[in-house]
Amino acid sequence: MKKKPEYEFQSSSCHVVLKDSIKLKLASWFVLVSMLLGLGGVTSALAGNIHQIKMVAEEMDPTGNLGLYAYRMMQHQVADENGNTVDLSGNYSAVATIPGPTIVMSEGDVAEIELIHQFNPDNPKQEHVSLHVHGVHYDKESDGTLKYINLYKDESATPVLSYSYRWIAAPGTSGTWAYHDHNMNSHNGAEDRGLFGALIVNPASGFLLQDINGTGSGSASLSQIQKEFVLYIGDDAFWGMEINNANGAQTALGVNPNLNAQRNSDIRIHLIALGTNFHQFELPSYTWIDPGTRRRISAKAIGPLEKHVFAINASHSASYLDTAFSSKLLGMKGQLVVD
Amino acid sequence: MNTSIYGKKMKKISVMFILMALWLLSSIAWAATHTISISAVQLPNGQYGYKLNNHTSSDGTVPNYPAEAVIPGPTLFVKQGDQVTVQLRNETNIKVGFNVPGLVNGNAVSANPGQTKSYILNTQHTGTYPYFDKESQLLGLFGAIVVDDMSGQVQSFVDGNGKITAVNRSQLDKEFVMFMVGSTFWGAEISRDGTQKPLWTNPTLGAVMDNLVRFHVLSVGMAHTFHLHAHRWINPAANPNTATAEDIIDVHLMKNPHDSHVFTIKAGTGVGPGIWQYHCHLVSHMESGMNGKFLVVAADSGDPGNSIAGASPSGAIFLNASDDPGLVSFIISDEPGSWFRSARGDALSPVTFTKSLEVIPPGSSVHFIMSDTHGVHTITSLLWPSEAGNNNHPGGDHFMIPFDQTKAYRGGGIVQLNVPGLYVFTCKVHPYMFGAVIVDSPGTAGLDLGNTIDLVSGIKNLPTSSDLATRLLRTFFVATTQGNWQDYTATTPWHVNYPNVPVETNLGTLNLKDVLEARYGQDITLPVVTAPATPGVGEVWINTQFEKTAGKTKPGTITVLDTTNWTLKRKIALPKINMNNPHNIWPNRDHTIMYQTQWFDTKLTLIDQKTGKLIKNLQVGDTPSHVMTLPNSDDITVAINGENGVVIIPAGTTEVNYMMPTQHHGQVPANPHGHWVSADGSRIITPNINTSDTGIYNADTGQIVSRTQTGNGQPGPHPIAIGMMPDSSKIYASNLLHHSLSVLDGNNGALLKTINLIENYNPITGDITGPVGVLPIQTPVSPDGKAVVLAATGGQILIVDTKTDSIVKMLACDPGCHGANFGAKQGGGYYAYVTSKFSNRLIVVDIDPNNDGDISDADIVGSISMVAGNNVAKDDTISSLAGYGGQGIVALPNVYNGWVQNLTSEWTSGLTSSQRNPVQ
Repeated sequence: MKKKPEYEFQSSSCHVVLKDSIKLKLASWFVLVSMLLGLGGVTSALAGNIHQIKMVAEEMDPTGNLGLYAYRMMQHQVADENGNTVDLSGNYSAVATIPGPTIVMSEGDVAEIELIHQFNPDNPKQEHVSLHVHGVHYDKESDGTLKYINLYKDESATPVLSYSYRWIAAPGTSGTWAYHDHNMNSHNGAEDRGLFGALIVNPASGFLLQDINGTGSGSASLSQIQKEFVLYIGDDAFWGMEINNANGAQTALGVNPNLNAQRNSDIRIHLIALGTNFHQFELPSYTWIDPGTRRRISAKAIGPLEKHVFAINASHSASYLDTAFSSKLLGMKGQLVVD
Repeated sequence: MNTSIYGKKMKKISVMFILMALWLLSSIAWAATHTISISAVQLPNGQYGYKLNNHTSSDGTVPNYPAEAVIPGPTLFVKQGDQVTVQLRNETNIKVGFNVPGLVNGNAVSANPGQTKSYILNTQHTGTYPYFDKESQLLGLFGAIVVDDMSGQVQSFVDGNGKITAVNRSQLDKEFVMFMVGSTFWGAEISRDGTQKPLWTNPTLGAVMDNLVRFHVLSVGMAHTFHLHAHRWINPAANPNTATAEDIIDVHLMKNPHDSHVFTIKAGTGVGPGIWQYHCHLVSHMESGMNGKFLVVAADSGDPGNSIAGASPSGAIFLNASDDPGLVSFIISDEPGSWFRSARGDALSPVTFTKSLEVIPPGSSVHFIMSDTHGVHTITSLLWPSEAGNNNHPGGDHFMIPFDQTKAYRGGGIVQLNVPGLYVFTCKVHPYMFGAVIVDSPGTAGLDLGNTIDLVSGIKNLPTSSDLATRLLRTFFVATTQGNWQDYTATTPWHVNYPNVPVETNLGTLNLKDVLEARYGQDITLPVVTAPATPGVGEVWINTQFEKTAGKTKPGTITVLDTTNWTLKRKIALPKINMNNPHNIWPNRDHTIMYQTQWFDTKLTLIDQKTGKLIKNLQVGDTPSHVMTLPNSDDITVAINGENGVVIIPAGTTEVNYMMPTQHHGQVPANPHGHWVSADGSRIITPNINTSDTGIYNADTGQIVSRTQTGNGQPGPHPIAIGMMPDSSKIYASNLLHHSLSVLDGNNGALLKTINLIENYNPITGDITGPVGVLPIQTPVSPDGKAVVLAATGGQILIVDTKTDSIVKMLACDPGCHGANFGAKQGGGYYAYVTSKFSNRLIVVDIDPNNDGDISDADIVGSISMVAGNNVAKDDTISSLAGYGGQGIVALPNVYNGWVQNLTSEWTSGLTSSQRNPVQ
């Protein structure tokens, strides 16, 4: 059953918005209706859901000595202001993945994230690991940096103690943002060794920030999007993560993945670059709007930690690729497979 | 009718005329006229800056400029439509221009030293524009011009509640100009009253909670991404009046070759007070120090939230006393010897003899800028005072020792040095690039070398008076001073100039020159250059990588030697393509084409073997080091030393579209250097300098067969070159910084043995009790499989017996001994040809002079001057450093097993039957 993205109650003094991420997860109308009844008297204009998250940072295949690290979702529960809780933990991979779990929130939501250090405690390079997030609000407790940077404290999970961060998806923070380590390996973090993931903050309006195929009036609904593809562009590969919006399931797609979409379904692609190289992303034969402009584009220059999000209707199969010189030589490309 | 129509028209025209006149009048009323006089001057550290002399404006709006020359230059604020004339007075000794893409037309003329030039700016479009000198921009000649809207409207900001709010300039509490250059931010603050304050490098930007702050982020040179923690702003591509959530960003790409990005924020909105880092988000630039703090203080804290300037070119450095932290600058260069060239190297070198040594007091900083190179590099601590590695200096942003980056990149670096003593920096990709800094405490008599140093290779607490420490110092003074190189055409003995200065060591005050001369001699008579008695077969192509010619700015030639009569046949400089540091060379199967790498560049060059003429110059990737063919297919393999793979080009094509990765996705780039290929062409073996291992790769599938750590687990052994048995059964990998030779199984990479090349060397006393090989580089195996000839840059050639994998002989080589490869000796047997970077001769080694199969009598049988006489064919005029820089080398015919069988009859005719069939 498709769920409507938005439920608004206009009362004399306020409107109440129930957030998407939980909406998408609700298993039945019964739950929903009971929640709505429960919300009847709430007057806060910023009523949002609380995400209780536990994540682990660990080494990928420690015996293989790959030198790669990753985040793993242990637990993700979402509570509304009445304490009704939905457990999303089952949507995530049971093992650590690159990219890490995609965290989906809505404007108005708050996430409390406990990060647990599960590296070799004897390795001084792995003494600290953190979560530094882009885009959303947080106070100085949750910057995810070391004390020599913030002159406040080491905001790291260590072998001895976990660390908790609080992210506030305040109004104006909708969009797709990176989160990554800022503290491991060296004083600069291991963000380019696998410790990265995406945070999607969906707008409170329930409407996409992007037009599908760069056409239309900007009124496309979030609920139209069947799949989200997060594509991290590293120095030597794309790293993919797929989210099936029908059930919220996340699947790590590995490097230079094929993106499988149902014909004529609407999909959203979230590009984030990381590392040191610059990239020229291309998806020829599809078009979308360059944010901030009216220009329809099929390619976008993107530098480390920039983000670029677009929505298209999957009408035909096509290749996506990075045409920067060394990216091309390294075969940084994949297929959008539509059937 | 007609009249009335005429009257109507007239009426319309009159109205239009009046409106136009009003518009003109109004614009005259609003538009101001500015005359701005600025000077370009040299700063105490050798960098350049612009200085504001005078600014007159018809509307009286003149900012309060700094009195001194500053980086970035003074920020020029004008309004759209203003008439602006800039007069540039050049007070430097270099040509200086004033380019403002978008505001000054095209190629504005430069001012010669002493000249003044005028430039008229077109201010039709609002925005912040970089102005700069095109040649020396990366050394400080840049600043910003802000053309504001006449209404005063500036960039809107995103409030904590998500509201996008319009701002007028009069509402701004302060503005920051932040230039991203190399791997450093250069900042200035403009306060509410228009006072401009230089903030120099990586400053702490201060603000009070909820201040409205406009950032002008600009860049010249390399590309960057700007990120500020915990704040959001509006994508400049968006119209601020119609911007939506989609247009809110917190990272922005700054494009090469120059860019500008302007936004307004409300300090701390939605996040509160704190110290929020700003930085470039390229990992390599983060690692090289490109960050600073944005200090947001609480409104009721009583703290005014002042900015704190960073290290400055006018601050405290040797010969420039100041109370402010100082900054010395090294230009990273492709120029031989001056790879780390102090921006004031010309002024210091009469005393130091090198341009690569700087002196600063504790607390000042060192800045690096890759402004004179086409290659990618790292800036890596080679050695440092032991105490500095403790890094117990909380509060700084960029003081971590050892200084290092994960991979090679374009940019620069900045690091603060707090502990007195000696610091040497190198590039991991080009490990003979050296820059040294002495951090000298003002309280001591001599220059502080410190008590002990730590080395990147894991040696800790080495006394500064030890032989190893002074030997490294001597290596530094030889490598970085062209005049200290061995000249085999000179009639006088070899003299090495050292600074005649007192230094502080663990043994107290010593004279540096006296110590080095006492330990390593002075005015040494060099051996006479005499050709071997027995000719070789064919030609030898030598990369005389440092030889300079008149027709190009970059160094390097190929020297072609005819071994049948030991005369130079040709010098190839390729001025047409400005061939840059040719490093390694290999022929195709029929020897019609020579493949040449340009190690400080991005190119593989194809050269006609017969004529020495250019065939094609192919972009292959950053800093290609070595090239070899696959013997079975004749495909070309090029190690891309500055990246993460080996480019493979199909034989007969010039298609560069595949790089075989040397590591799995996401792993640290291996940065392969001097690879080798198995005799059947099935395997490519790479020494992975950056990941301390030797990799075996399947040449057909690109799969990783094995990666074996070498160097006995020591940090940074730096495997650099590979040799292989003719039957491919064993691999010899030299570890430059571990001074060892690893022997590995040629099929599965299993480590069989590690030969310690400095076992007979006492690093404290300097006693040498047997053969040693310091800093080993190329390590080819003779085509008959009997001997490994190893060129060690410390000045030794070692002969290793492959039967026992032990050293059987040490021969004297020249400083910077580097390349080695085998060619056929006339009548049978093999010569090893050995090159040296810091001499201008080629050494010829006969691995078995009496041809009895026992290689313990291997010896130097002659040497050849690499200096070409007038009669030698050349495509350019040799201008300096004649014959220097010997590195890659290859003999034709190519007599290695696997290749020799594929030669054409033209090339086999001079070979004996056993030379044609080396493995029987």
